[in-house]
Amino acid sequence: MEVKILSAKFDIKDAHKIKVAKKHGAYSTLDKLFSMPPEDVIELVKESGLRGRGGAGFPSGVKWSFLPKDTGKPVYLAVNSDESEPATFKDRYILVKDPHMMIEGIIICSYAIGSHDTYIYIRGEYTTQVKALQAAIDEAYAAGYLGDKVGGHDYTVNVTVHRGAGAYVCGEETALLESIEGKKGQPRSKPPFPAVAGLYGCPTIINNVQSIASLPFILENGAEAYKAYGTEKSAGTHLFGISGHVEKPGMYELPLGLPLLEVIDKVAGGVWKGRKLKGVIPGGSSTPVLLPEEAKTVTLDYESMAAHKTMFGSGGIVVLDETVDIVQLVKNLIDFYHHESCGQCTPCREGLGWMLKIIKKILSGDGTMVDLNLLRELCDNIELKTVCVLSAACTMPVRSYLDKFRHEFEAYVANNDSSAAEAK
Amino acid sequence: MSDRSQLISTGTPFQFDKERDAEFERLIKRYPTRESMILPALWLIQEQEGWISQEAMAYAADRIGTFASKVYEAATFYTMYNLHPMGKNHICICRTLSCWLRGKQEIVDYLNNEIGIKPGEISEDGKYSLEEVECLGHCGTAPVVQVNGEFHENMDVDKLKSLLATLK
Amino acid sequence: MADKIKLFVNGVEVEVESGKNLIDAIGAVGIEIPHLCYHPALGADGNCRMCLVGIEDGRPPLVPACKTPAQEGLKVLLDAEHIKKIQHDVMEFELINHPIDCPVCDQAGECKLQDYYMSYDQVDSRMTVPQVTKGKKMDFGAGVVHDQERCVVCGRCVRFCRQITKTGELGIINRTDDARVNIFPGRPLNNRYALNVVDLCPVGAMTSKDFRFKQRVWFLKKAPGICHGCAKGCNITIEHNREKYKDDVIYRFRPRKNDQVNGYFICDAGRLSYKAENEGRLTEARLSNKAIPVDEILTAASKEIERAEKTAVIVSPNCSLEQMIAVKALAEKLGASLSGFSDGYIKSGDGDDFLIQDDKAANRTGLTLLGIDSSKQGFEAAVQGAKLLINFDNDLGLSYEEGALKKLLQGIKIIAITSHDTDCVKMAEMAIPVASYSEYAGSVINCDNILQTFGKAVTKNNDLADICAIAAGLGSPLASPEERFSALQECIGALKDLEPDQIPAKGLKLNDSEAANVTV
Repeated sequence: MEVKILSAKFDIKDAHKIKVAKKHGAYSTLDKLFSMPPEDVIELVKESGLRGRGGAGFPSGVKWSFLPKDTGKPVYLAVNSDESEPATFKDRYILVKDPHMMIEGIIICSYAIGSHDTYIYIRGEYTTQVKALQAAIDEAYAAGYLGDKVGGHDYTVNVTVHRGAGAYVCGEETALLESIEGKKGQPRSKPPFPAVAGLYGCPTIINNVQSIASLPFILENGAEAYKAYGTEKSAGTHLFGISGHVEKPGMYELPLGLPLLEVIDKVAGGVWKGRKLKGVIPGGSSTPVLLPEEAKTVTLDYESMAAHKTMFGSGGIVVLDETVDIVQLVKNLIDFYHHESCGQCTPCREGLGWMLKIIKKILSGDGTMVDLNLLRELCDNIELKTVCVLSAACTMPVRSYLDKFRHEFEAYVANNDSSAAEAK
Repeated sequence: MSDRSQLISTGTPFQFDKERDAEFERLIKRYPTRESMILPALWLIQEQEGWISQEAMAYAADRIGTFASKVYEAATFYTMYNLHPMGKNHICICRTLSCWLRGKQEIVDYLNNEIGIKPGEISEDGKYSLEEVECLGHCGTAPVVQVNGEFHENMDVDKLKSLLATLK
Repeated sequence: MADKIKLFVNGVEVEVESGKNLIDAIGAVGIEIPHLCYHPALGADGNCRMCLVGIEDGRPPLVPACKTPAQEGLKVLLDAEHIKKIQHDVMEFELINHPIDCPVCDQAGECKLQDYYMSYDQVDSRMTVPQVTKGKKMDFGAGVVHDQERCVVCGRCVRFCRQITKTGELGIINRTDDARVNIFPGRPLNNRYALNVVDLCPVGAMTSKDFRFKQRVWFLKKAPGICHGCAKGCNITIEHNREKYKDDVIYRFRPRKNDQVNGYFICDAGRLSYKAENEGRLTEARLSNKAIPVDEILTAASKEIERAEKTAVIVSPNCSLEQMIAVKALAEKLGASLSGFSDGYIKSGDGDDFLIQDDKAANRTGLTLLGIDSSKQGFEAAVQGAKLLINFDNDLGLSYEEGALKKLLQGIKIIAITSHDTDCVKMAEMAIPVASYSEYAGSVINCDNILQTFGKAVTKNNDLADICAIAAGLGSPLASPEERFSALQECIGALKDLEPDQIPAKGLKLNDSEAANVTV
């Protein structure tokens, strides 16, 4: 089931070093790249069906085509290496094992969108990864693949690594830009969209590490070769992360479209310790949970996930066994989102804190049915009223747990007298 | 998150050492605005001192040419910036989702029993400080612990014992 | 004039100005969209979420009105059920951690949370878990006291210090519901407009140390006025009250919007200059340092004037145009030299590039336009050999050292007609108390040649006559408002075709050449 497109060089010794990487094809697409008009590169990426691998799944080529032409302002590329969505752990493999693939992707994207300056936003916690990344960038400069005259061609690409310092919200594209500009990572209202007014008010494209790293393959082998993997609307491969209660947790590159439960069993060894499956989180903590019954018909692509009222997300699959206390799990999640809220807008700032206090109250045994219903109602009251979707990243999954595992929550409040007086 | 407003004053002005000074000058050329240096400058201070004092923040603001309030905002917003001295060995344990599912609590409890510190505390001899952090992006090898910036994966109590033995 | 476009609010067509955001565009036709963080002087921030409105057939269907430009044909939903629910929910989130400080909070009565609670909420709290607690009664400097718990984190104060004064003392630190406004330790508020944040704050998070606990705002009567702290003539609201058994006293000045003059703000010095209206006043007539009734002193003064061989008259650059013209007519009748010498009112280098002017006099342009000589030589020539000096409220102590002033005015009897009991007044043989600017109606011309009129705001228990009445009492031929206005029309061309009540409320801009065209 596993494939080696993005991870082709991951098991090759020293593939992160430019000498070895080049032997295996790194930077070999540059001559072809610079012989094409930039618009053709954009068309190629559109054709390939590559969708943003950070979690939103927006078609990358289409995003690039939103850039306004001839504004007189510099165009920036920002590479999102924040990777803070719980259950997501894929991009760092690229940074450590095959960084030159990403740098090559940066060159491809920069040329296509007319950008000469790239900022790689990397989360602060990735200490070893940032060292590896910077070493690769230094090698690329020394070998003439970055700087003026990239690969001997008349084009400049400069790359600067910008370290974050512990904020999940900076994975949101406009918060990421704010952070590069030296401010708190507080998302901006859209419109204007970053393609029009992004970094320093200039047209900006923000792409996930994996999306960028997918570009050399597409350029080398063409759109059809990329579409050969995956489904019609969800083309290509993805670095899936499987974690939680499985025998063989880890990162696995798979084509999109495979059946979820089959992947869990065949690739990750199935639920661990011989236990029963209770639920599956399909694409990172922000995605609604799937019950085993529901998971039976799910395939790992954007369409199937949407049809099952959840999301493909970042492809971070978390398996829950029968021993999981869902109420504790929900508290763990709300705690995370509350901690990571940027604090800018009222519903998220005040609402997530309220939700956390309510679920703690429920867990302590003092909760009532009124509290439980309020927790459920807050999911609706907060969602979509905020500047960004961090609030929805909390309320969407929490709602799914409250609805699909209601009995577990009710068990916590059942012993309180107030539940008898409960009106709703 | 809790309140990070209280800054600690060392009572003496702060300055970059030679190495950090050169790095500051190198980095500032990479950005079109000086304000973009706020996060990098805070990192340079933390690399040099291990934490960021009130004087260091004021220095960064004046060196960059921006308001101290903006540096204050960034330093308190981003939780990796230490606003007080930490232990000699800073231990970060991931507490989110997959690490929670695969037993991070045992590790936290062990540290409480063995070293006597809870998350957010520094041991009396100053050798360790402990922090529970959010998802570190190593879910496939959970539970994960980061010590002095280095990742230690697939942790359990036994491995933790061995790890502690290696710490100075 | 901006273009007009038609859009729909709750299904009803309205005509609004294009180019504005929905809050301003629809607000201008009398429909309120609630908001906390938006302010026209500071721009939109979009964080409070109180201004969310529905757009029928819109993508997206829910937008913040502060960030949405008014467009032809837009169908705005404000009264729809789902919008009302959102307004209610946002209010709920604002209130769950809000301390019920109303009984001890200065903002009560002019608080957006109170107002919006009554309009959009009116439901009991569902908060059964502990509230977030933060700092209270924090001294931010410059007379500003901050309460972090009351704060709704709208960011207006931060944006004011960064965008308007460009001093950046304030920031919002921390994240999540720990977010709070603070100053960097050791760098408190330190700009000359800091107290504007008290007005900007929609709740009681920013309060003025000066006004704290002094008066409940619903007792304050609010009268429009013009600040007399400098030549800018910022528009203010004079907020005063007469408590039972006490006198009518001013409790505060607040800025009044005038796009031509001061925009939305005033400086702190001007804001606090209300104190000078309440304090240091001359309240009783004095003859040889003994109190006497006012009508008696007028008689005594008239006798002195008759007796004097040579009389000089000096007038204050703070006087209104009406007072200046009345005094000028009096001086002409008496054959006295008239001076407006007041160099001491100018503090060179004190002004800034925003509102504050070097010249602390409110109506120096009036002196020029009415042809009143303000030179030092002119004044000193006028008092040379004079036996009597009638001083209409000009504080000569600002322009002369005490010793030099005494020497200059040696042997000259002084009649001081003044609102404030300054040192220079104590030198006078006779002192006649008059109303100060908050207690009379008049007009002044500011440093940008804008003529502004103001009405009488405060009525003291002992309501004093103003300089016009005293001048008339001493013999000025311009004894009525009509006569004075006619005389002004002779000097100021722009007034020629206007009735007094036709002077625009936001001020009348005089031509720059008007100032050069001095008609004597």
